[in-house]
Amino acid sequence: MTVFAVDGHLLWQVIWVSLLAGVAISALFSFVILGAVRAGDARRAGHGAAAAGYAAFAVVAFALFAAGVVLGVQTMVDK
Amino acid sequence: MDHDFVLWIVVGTALAFDFTNGFHDTANAVATSISTRALSPRLAVGIAAILNFAGAFISLAVAATIATGIVDADLITPAIVFAGLVGAIAWNLATWYFGLPSSSSHALIGGVVGSAFVAEGPEAVYGSGIIDKVVVPALVAPVLAFVVGGLAILVAYRILGRQRPGPVVRGFRLGQVLSGSLLALSHGTNDAQKTMGIIFLALVANGNVAADADVPTWVVVSAATAIALGTYVGGWRIIRTMGNRIIKMDPAQGFAAQGVGATVIMAASQVGFPLSTTHVISGAIMGTGAAKRVSAVRWGVAGNIVAAWVLTLPAAAAVGGLTYAVVALLGSEGLGPIAVSAALLAALAVALGRRLVAGRTLTAEG
Repeated sequence: MTVFAVDGHLLWQVIWVSLLAGVAISALFSFVILGAVRAGDARRAGHGAAAAGYAAFAVVAFALFAAGVVLGVQTMVDK
Repeated sequence: MDHDFVLWIVVGTALAFDFTNGFHDTANAVATSISTRALSPRLAVGIAAILNFAGAFISLAVAATIATGIVDADLITPAIVFAGLVGAIAWNLATWYFGLPSSSSHALIGGVVGSAFVAEGPEAVYGSGIIDKVVVPALVAPVLAFVVGGLAILVAYRILGRQRPGPVVRGFRLGQVLSGSLLALSHGTNDAQKTMGIIFLALVANGNVAADADVPTWVVVSAATAIALGTYVGGWRIIRTMGNRIIKMDPAQGFAAQGVGATVIMAASQVGFPLSTTHVISGAIMGTGAAKRVSAVRWGVAGNIVAAWVLTLPAAAAVGGLTYAVVALLGSEGLGPIAVSAALLAALAVALGRRLVAGRTLTAEG
């Protein structure tokens, strides 16, 4: 039986990439919902500029979220 | 002729394992979506089945590596693979019966390790491989997912804490459709490959295809079909455990658990450190529950799940080893695999017959 050896560098990489990606994906989708909800509220209150700003915020957050999803699918395809 | 017959028994057993793999792991992709009512049960398993099927075609790098580095590949025979598969199937069915999510990959590795150990002795098994590919990932996956899941839900609550619950719930339910779909696709790319690899190995060992040949199309299609069918049938006992019995989850927790699960699995795959989907999702569910309130997690259920994880490798190895001993006793080149598979099919028919007589359907989600 060979000696136990786990690549510590690889393990550390898994930990920090998972932490970053996991929290980021959840935060980005939360921002999408936040932007969409506030855009709706602002539109109903007659604040057109604020509604547009929140909508743009939601779109940017969704674009980043979608980029993460595409990166994930790319990872599956390339492995 | 005998060799071909044993080969087809191995192929059939590998597809049966693939079916139980899909059946057993349906919960990973759908449990949280069903629990939070993001999707109806039938729609959830339907989508998961289609994406598992599609996922099997995405990456065709043969995962013949399932036992590489764990057992001596030169010593592996079709009879060893057959006995290993029986060990893995037995563990998948036992854990399904008790509604416990456990890793099908670890069950397969355990089964092959047990049968190789009985067939060829301790020199056929690499201890370091078991630690690197089973023990360390089994320790890292749930703990990492628990921490990331907890952080993710705290961030989500912090961002959306003061918003009206209605649109927030609808938003996260929509997000769950996406995160659950990603998980199902990822499962198809990972797990159907294991069966393709095993069938391919058996074909090479039997001289039907060259080692450097492409995976035959029928192997890809049959493995994809078996895992998709298994997913569609659905292991409802495990779905109930993961969806309702660990924590009572809201859609934000469901999304966080699935989103974290998908990202941790993909991040780990990206850096070449594959983790068990079951361990990751279970850990993430517990993490999202504990972050809200430690007592929100039913730690007794969580303890049973962890006990099943600890037992997976030795239990599957024991069944795999025992099966190989019986096969070897009857003749590993012919009668052994035939007699064992016939006995198992008869036992399965009796079990299904009793279930039907008792008035229970085979696929009911209730």
